[in-house]
Amino acid sequence: MYWVSVVTEAGIFAILALGLDVIWGWSGDFDLAFYGYLALGSYLTFVLTIGKPKPPVEYILGYHLPVVLAIVLAMVVVVGLAAIIGAIALRNLRDIYFAVTTLGAVSALYLLVENYTPLFDGYNGVYGLINPGQTALNLTYNGYRIAFLVVVLVLLFLAYLLVQRLSRSPFGRMLRSVREDERASAAYGRRVFGAKYRAYLFGAALAGLTGGLFAIFISAFNPSAWTPQELLVIYAAILVGGRGNPRGVILGVFVVYIGFIELTRYLPSPASRPDFGPAMRQILIGLMIILMLRFRPEGLFRERPGLDRYPIENGAPIPASQRPAAPPGLRSEERGTSERATREGGASKAGRRRAGKTERAGG
Amino acid sequence: MTTFLVTIGIGLSTAAILSLSAVAFTLEYAVSRVANFAHGEFLTIGAYVAYSGQAIFHQNVAAAAVIAAAAGAAAGMALNFGLIEQFRGRSAITVFIATLGVALIVENVLVIIYGAANVTYSFGQGKLHHIGPFLWTTSDIEVIISALAVAGLIYLLLQRTRFGKAVRAISQDRALAQVSGIPARRIIMQTWALAGAVAGFAGFVLADTFGTFGPTLGFSFLLLTITATVAGGLGRPYATLGGALIVGLAIQIAGTYTSSAYQLVFAFLLLVLLMLFRPNGVFVRRSTVAVRA
Repeated sequence: MYWVSVVTEAGIFAILALGLDVIWGWSGDFDLAFYGYLALGSYLTFVLTIGKPKPPVEYILGYHLPVVLAIVLAMVVVVGLAAIIGAIALRNLRDIYFAVTTLGAVSALYLLVENYTPLFDGYNGVYGLINPGQTALNLTYNGYRIAFLVVVLVLLFLAYLLVQRLSRSPFGRMLRSVREDERASAAYGRRVFGAKYRAYLFGAALAGLTGGLFAIFISAFNPSAWTPQELLVIYAAILVGGRGNPRGVILGVFVVYIGFIELTRYLPSPASRPDFGPAMRQILIGLMIILMLRFRPEGLFRERPGLDRYPIENGAPIPASQRPAAPPGLRSEERGTSERATREGGASKAGRRRAGKTERAGG
Repeated sequence: MTTFLVTIGIGLSTAAILSLSAVAFTLEYAVSRVANFAHGEFLTIGAYVAYSGQAIFHQNVAAAAVIAAAAGAAAGMALNFGLIEQFRGRSAITVFIATLGVALIVENVLVIIYGAANVTYSFGQGKLHHIGPFLWTTSDIEVIISALAVAGLIYLLLQRTRFGKAVRAISQDRALAQVSGIPARRIIMQTWALAGAVAGFAGFVLADTFGTFGPTLGFSFLLLTITATVAGGLGRPYATLGGALIVGLAIQIAGTYTSSAYQLVFAFLLLVLLMLFRPNGVFVRRSTVAVRA
């Protein structure tokens, strides 16, 4: 049963990582608000299913909806929040400005949830969603946990199929072209803000779904469950697996979660120092982020190139050494897909859009 | 009215601490073009080293401040040498994520050394003083005076010395400064030492104001620091002082008239609004050019 729980957790976070990878890996926006979407999805799933609060506990809504409906509603609200934050942060801001803005937004939300008890009972959080549907399905506790694992893995597989399909689609290529060079893709008729915005909302929807699953998995949620460190673990997993490569991302999550949970079990944790184990885990994650960024930024599995095997100009392949240098501030240093992505994403629909309608987002 | 003036007084004291931290952050950005998310850890390191030193130096505030600054300077140089220089030529966001990793590491190393629970200073806040319309403790006054002194010193350093001239040149164009004969690596290292020292001192002052603090002291102050820096304009040391003043006063006033629990909510909403309308700072004309780091 221990392994069932470990794999379930990794599966849930793999769905989350797929969503985050669309935003960060394809679109190139380092989003620090992302864990807030999981949190909101989780909170809403609780308050929509566990019924009216009994004083002194207080929270909003308090309905008795079926859990599937609750998760769908939670996803809708989460996408709504992402629509607001994304509209503010994505329009003109990039790179660290984007990251700082999203961090500011999620920190404001965090403090509000923590201090304003009528919302989700402040620091105590919400709880009481215990194995929804167990009696209806007539399952034992262990049987339910295994069934839930199967549900999570099926959802992960569906999410993977969807993301993989999107990744190869014109939309996926357009996002990558925008990531590599916004001005170039705008010149090819891409609407930069629109593309990034849609990617952001899609990622947030997956985060909302994950929040709902997480609610069922841990059956209690409070502010200590969504500190900023949690998000860094997901970023570390994406970095390890391979940014922009859905299969790599899933593998990265399983490696990091199962690897870390297993490895850190064997760390000595003296009774006088109960913090030692968790702290050591965080240190290893920090080290992993830095070392991956420094020595292997593309991860274990490289982002899969598009249809052309090599960038081609005037009919002849250009050696990597002679490609034009990327403008500063863009991420071309980490992989050389710019020429490919721009051409593919740009050529398909460029003629149909008027250049005058493009967003000017370059600085 | 009295409440309002007392609030302004506390706001000035907050602004003083904020200005120290924000000036250091902006100096780091000016020379290395890095938004250093491990900046908060300089503050935490300074605070903890002063905590370790207080028994040795018999509760001497000045000695504690000096060793906090020294520890901050060492941390600044270590970060520049060990990370920032290693990531030279990489995109700003890559370095930013790496510093986030450093923040995670330092915070948890401190947890292992000192424990996750809060520790307490035994310096005391001193007496209350009525100065003009304001109500300040002795340590509030020390904070404000030392912040003004540090700001003055940095001004003199940047404007009146060869070192300052070199820093300003590098912040405009590192390559150009280098071909003009400025030893950029050395100057950048010295700037990180300076910024680290100011940040370490700020950490001691911040911890002293709270009296009790934990390993997340610096990281939770970081976003406030960034808000002040952005309000002034990233990479502009003097404007940053103005930004700190605005943010310090704004959150105290907003906190007093609603609830102190929501103080930081206002600060972060302010940050989002600044990013939306004045991403280059409130002291420049609203630019039509989108911001890129």
